[in-house]
Amino acid sequence: MNKLDQIIEDYKEAVFDTDRQAALEIINEATRNGITPEEVVFEIVIPTIHSMMENVSSLDTNLAQHFIAAQIAAEITEVMTAKFPESYTVAGSVVIGTSAGDLHGLGKRIVTGCLKAFMIDVTDLGLNVSPERFVDEAVARGAEVIGISSMMVHTARGENGCLKVRQILRERGLEQKIKIAVGGAPYRFDHNLYKTVQADAWAEDGIQACKVIMDLIEEVHK
Amino acid sequence: MITGMDRLVAALNGTVSDRAPVFCNLFDQGAKELQVPLKDYYSNGEYVAEAQLKMLSKYGYDSVWSLFYVGKEAELLGCNQMRFAEDGPPNVEDFVIKNYGDVGRLKVPDDIASHPAFAESSKCLRILKREVGGKNPICAYVSASMILPAMLMGMDKWMELLFMGPPEVRDELLEKCHEFFVKEIQAYRAAGVDVIIYSNPFGSTDIISMKYFMKHSLPWIKKDIEAIGTNGIVYYCGTARMNRVINTVIEQTGLAVFHLSPLDDIAEGKAIVANRGLTCGVINDIKLIDWTQDEIKSEVKRIFDAGMPGGKFLFSTAVMPYNIPENNIRAMLEAAYEFGKY
Repeated sequence: MNKLDQIIEDYKEAVFDTDRQAALEIINEATRNGITPEEVVFEIVIPTIHSMMENVSSLDTNLAQHFIAAQIAAEITEVMTAKFPESYTVAGSVVIGTSAGDLHGLGKRIVTGCLKAFMIDVTDLGLNVSPERFVDEAVARGAEVIGISSMMVHTARGENGCLKVRQILRERGLEQKIKIAVGGAPYRFDHNLYKTVQADAWAEDGIQACKVIMDLIEEVHK
Repeated sequence: MITGMDRLVAALNGTVSDRAPVFCNLFDQGAKELQVPLKDYYSNGEYVAEAQLKMLSKYGYDSVWSLFYVGKEAELLGCNQMRFAEDGPPNVEDFVIKNYGDVGRLKVPDDIASHPAFAESSKCLRILKREVGGKNPICAYVSASMILPAMLMGMDKWMELLFMGPPEVRDELLEKCHEFFVKEIQAYRAAGVDVIIYSNPFGSTDIISMKYFMKHSLPWIKKDIEAIGTNGIVYYCGTARMNRVINTVIEQTGLAVFHLSPLDDIAEGKAIVANRGLTCGVINDIKLIDWTQDEIKSEVKRIFDAGMPGGKFLFSTAVMPYNIPENNIRAMLEAAYEFGKY
């Protein structure tokens, strides 16, 4: 195993052990030993998230790992991209928040951290976001995707949630330019719920959401 | 006449009554029953008790609830702002812990039973005890020491503190939550509660790794259970799966009742519990909103087929969403009464 491969393995282990301190120390040590900021992001941080995406359907990953992985990845990527010798291209833009009446912010925080690691521009609109604000902010920021997180059935299915966002996008002729991704506990228990609320896609968890959102960005760019 | 309590006791002991016990966890539906807004409904313990008794009589299941909403615990610890909805449970809107300094200022009430925020719960419990005590199990919901902080500061901030924050702040908060947990259980037991749902998502490897569970979560579970005993306690991970930890929990704590996740393999869970306790098979009640009556019947049959052989089985729901059609609740219960016969 070469030096970089060993660093990748050590970093993955720290993240999977939900050990933020160890993960940061591994990256700091790596950069001191000549690993470039680009290598840190593209060879260590992003592949670790990819690895979680691949294992997410098994019992080998869990919510805490997703949370820690996303937080560390966002933190490291922010520091490393500032050191890139040339400016990088932002892959897309997303606005994200919890649906109206919903005050549970964990899921969107995981998604936000994960997207930042992939150098996607994310605007966190916070908790209890009105449908009008979701759309207005998406338009103002040129976002390709609106991410709506809901922890409760009534905030997922309610008339001021995704359904209303869809209605506004339709009325304003924005459906081809802005896609909707949803996630949160109710969707895990009803895999067809995203269709009921007229979203374009859903994700089982925060890490998967990142992939789903990147796919939607690509779809808009086609 | 066989009562709900008879059915529960028979299932716990592995003996036979007329059918398996059926617990149907209806909360917000009580407001619909009394035709009052949810916010008004939850402001009055008499309303909650009246609705619990009405729904018990109307549907014929076996248990009643003293739980208003989960955020009640935050109110007992100083939260004074809930966000009520018209069609679902309220959220904690004002977190008691906004920064780590607030952990030191957090005060656990000396006596939960006399706390003003417990007054309506006490009122509700007195009525339930008077009307159905000894006949139908009276249930309460209590957050484990490890999940209670999420109610006080939000789940994301709690996970930040738990995994990345100062250990001394984390431990101080956990100790205070444990102190509250013990007092809350004592208050419920003194008020006549029979069954206590010990809620702890950190008791599931859907939330944390097995390594973390063994090293950090299990010690707090053991500490909780050692302090209050196993009597009437139901292990519940807030709809997260638990099959991977059941054996360890039985061996390490002596707990004997497991309220599985709707996503757990029921036959597997039952086999792990074996004859050491009671397995609660739980329907995916979010889907009750849209399922047809045939689909409901088929799903209930699947659950009983998996869990009923050998007895020591109870049929239950998760947190029934407000907008499940009444006919679908009836269809679920009728199927449970049919397939749950011994």
